[in-house]
Amino acid sequence: MSMRQIIITLVFALGHCLSTQAAANAPAAPPDDLDALSLADKAPTASMQPARPWRLFVEGAVGQGKLRDTGSNFSIYRGSIDFRFDDHVAPQLRVVFSDRLDGVDSDGVPPGDNVNTLREAYLSWARTEDQIFDFGRVNIRNGSAIGFNPTDWFKANALRSIVDPDPAVLRENRQGTVVLQAQQLWRDASLTAAFSPKLARSADSATFALNVGATNPSNRYLVAGSYKFSDKFTPQLLVYGGDDDPAQIGLNLSGLIGDAVVAFGEFSAGKGTTLVTQALRIPEANSNQQRAAVGLTYTTGFNLSLTAEAEYNSAAPNGDQWHLLAESSQQQVLSTAQALQDLPTRSQWFLYANWKDMLVRRLDVSSFLRQDMQTSSRTLWLEGRYSWERAELALQWQLFSGPEGTVYYAVPQQRTVQLVLRVYL
Amino acid sequence: MHSFTATLAFAMGRWLIVLVVWLGVTVVAQASPDAQSILAASDEIRNPSRPFAVTVTLLEYRSAKQSDENTLTVYSKADNTSGQFRTLIRFVAPQRDVDKLMLKSGNDLWFFDPASQSSIRLSPQQRLLGQASNGDVVTVNLAKDYRAELLGEEDTADGERVMRRSYKLGLAAVSPDVTYHRVEMWVDATSSRPIKARFYAESGHLLKTAYYRKFQPQLGRERPTEVVIIDGLDPAWVTVLRYSDYAWRDVPDAWLQRDYLPRFKPG
Repeated sequence: MSMRQIIITLVFALGHCLSTQAAANAPAAPPDDLDALSLADKAPTASMQPARPWRLFVEGAVGQGKLRDTGSNFSIYRGSIDFRFDDHVAPQLRVVFSDRLDGVDSDGVPPGDNVNTLREAYLSWARTEDQIFDFGRVNIRNGSAIGFNPTDWFKANALRSIVDPDPAVLRENRQGTVVLQAQQLWRDASLTAAFSPKLARSADSATFALNVGATNPSNRYLVAGSYKFSDKFTPQLLVYGGDDDPAQIGLNLSGLIGDAVVAFGEFSAGKGTTLVTQALRIPEANSNQQRAAVGLTYTTGFNLSLTAEAEYNSAAPNGDQWHLLAESSQQQVLSTAQALQDLPTRSQWFLYANWKDMLVRRLDVSSFLRQDMQTSSRTLWLEGRYSWERAELALQWQLFSGPEGTVYYAVPQQRTVQLVLRVYL
Repeated sequence: MHSFTATLAFAMGRWLIVLVVWLGVTVVAQASPDAQSILAASDEIRNPSRPFAVTVTLLEYRSAKQSDENTLTVYSKADNTSGQFRTLIRFVAPQRDVDKLMLKSGNDLWFFDPASQSSIRLSPQQRLLGQASNGDVVTVNLAKDYRAELLGEEDTADGERVMRRSYKLGLAAVSPDVTYHRVEMWVDATSSRPIKARFYAESGHLLKTAYYRKFQPQLGRERPTEVVIIDGLDPAWVTVLRYSDYAWRDVPDAWLQRDYLPRFKPG
């Protein structure tokens, strides 16, 4: 063996030894990863509780507000109990029951009242896995928009008490309509038909009234069909009408723009009367009306979702028409719009923000600004909500502002603030 | 004679070199595994071949303290056309989230709240579960969404801190619709088990590292029953995903659409 070969052999042997030694000394993983794995080793083994078919919580709220007319402060005290049950009572038979009782004590406007809201109570029978029938009070809710839903026709007169102006809560805390409903499903399509019969003519304000006069004042129907053309596009077409309601056609669209933006649009059109004539009970022939809401929701990398929505209602007064109304008439139009959950003026902007886990885990912050474009007034709402395992604490603040004679100046309250504690049982 | 022998030896030597090189190339070609096949084999370990259900418990830690816990039931079914999974997720705990649903079929992502009876389309960027993205919870066949490249073989520590001979794969997204732009993945060279993965944003920064561990027999194979996710920016932010109650469970295709969500109530 030559000297050169010996040197090469020695170098290889040394290299091998060093690499073996280096491998033996190498950390098993980066220190941060090791810490994380050690933490995971110690993670407790949770005992799995089966999901309960019911949800029950109690809620207490204290708040204060300021009345615009007198400038005086008023107080709000509220206690609520909220129950929901949803389970199969037989292999193909499901029972849903959802109810809420609010007891409100307030010296403001409106004064406090005790109101029970039977939201849902129905039986659902799955004849086959793709054909289902429902009977009872069902909260039928359609619409792809966030702040104003032109195709959510059964929202009219569905609210018994407003404890929170968040649009998501308004959709939840309302009475369903008594219907017979059927749904047929296909792989990429669905067709639903509902018939809502006339059960009573007038609303009933008694605390525990079923209030079917508000939810079933006339015979009505709704047919809704959707088809999934692609992952990004599933339009829904709707037709609604009844004895007292001329036929309306509706369309819901939503789609993705990139991986952070959802675009949505919601439209309805049909014959109807104007909001002013409904509020002031003025006889008027039906005319063509259109309602629309279009918007975008953008989500940032830190999970803040921002929605901008443009809303339009041809049946509502424009700025000039609003200003021609007497103050009492403005109040009537505003309260009618609130009862119907319709836009009080021709056009508005609705901006909504929701930040999950803002800065700290379990702290969610939500806010909306509703800007009336006809009378330059606005309402602003802000909520911070912190959640524990079985409780939530929320601080809510709302402001109505604008010059005298504008839409949100007509709201009796100037501002309210309340602290809400919810405990799940 | 000497000259002839030398010429013969030289010629034979050349042929021998050619033969050795050819053999070497052939052997190397046969030994060098196909990266896409390695990834597909790893997918088969993570994902059962037939429709199934599994319970996922998410334990989230910030600075070594538990900050949150969620429990979900996940129903997954492969789409016959795309081969990718469609997933329906039902929230089981905490109490305030019970019966909320999330449906993911490709980039069709919907969230349903039973209280308001509303189905809302989500963008892939919207997260419902803290650090874990929606893509971390749903079932994904990586081999369908990524082009794999074999970056080398190396010894790497697995989630139990045992050194494993592994293939290091570089995954590049073939579709803009995926959750992560680029992934590095280590797959056990012997068993095809996924060991760990690093997920990167389009900007190139590390989003998270995931360790697949606690392999147990589930639905006919040894599958990971725990995934430890470490945040790329804040390593003290750790989420432990635990998988239990694996079961074969089919759901009709018609149920995996937005308009069925109000009715989904597994018996």
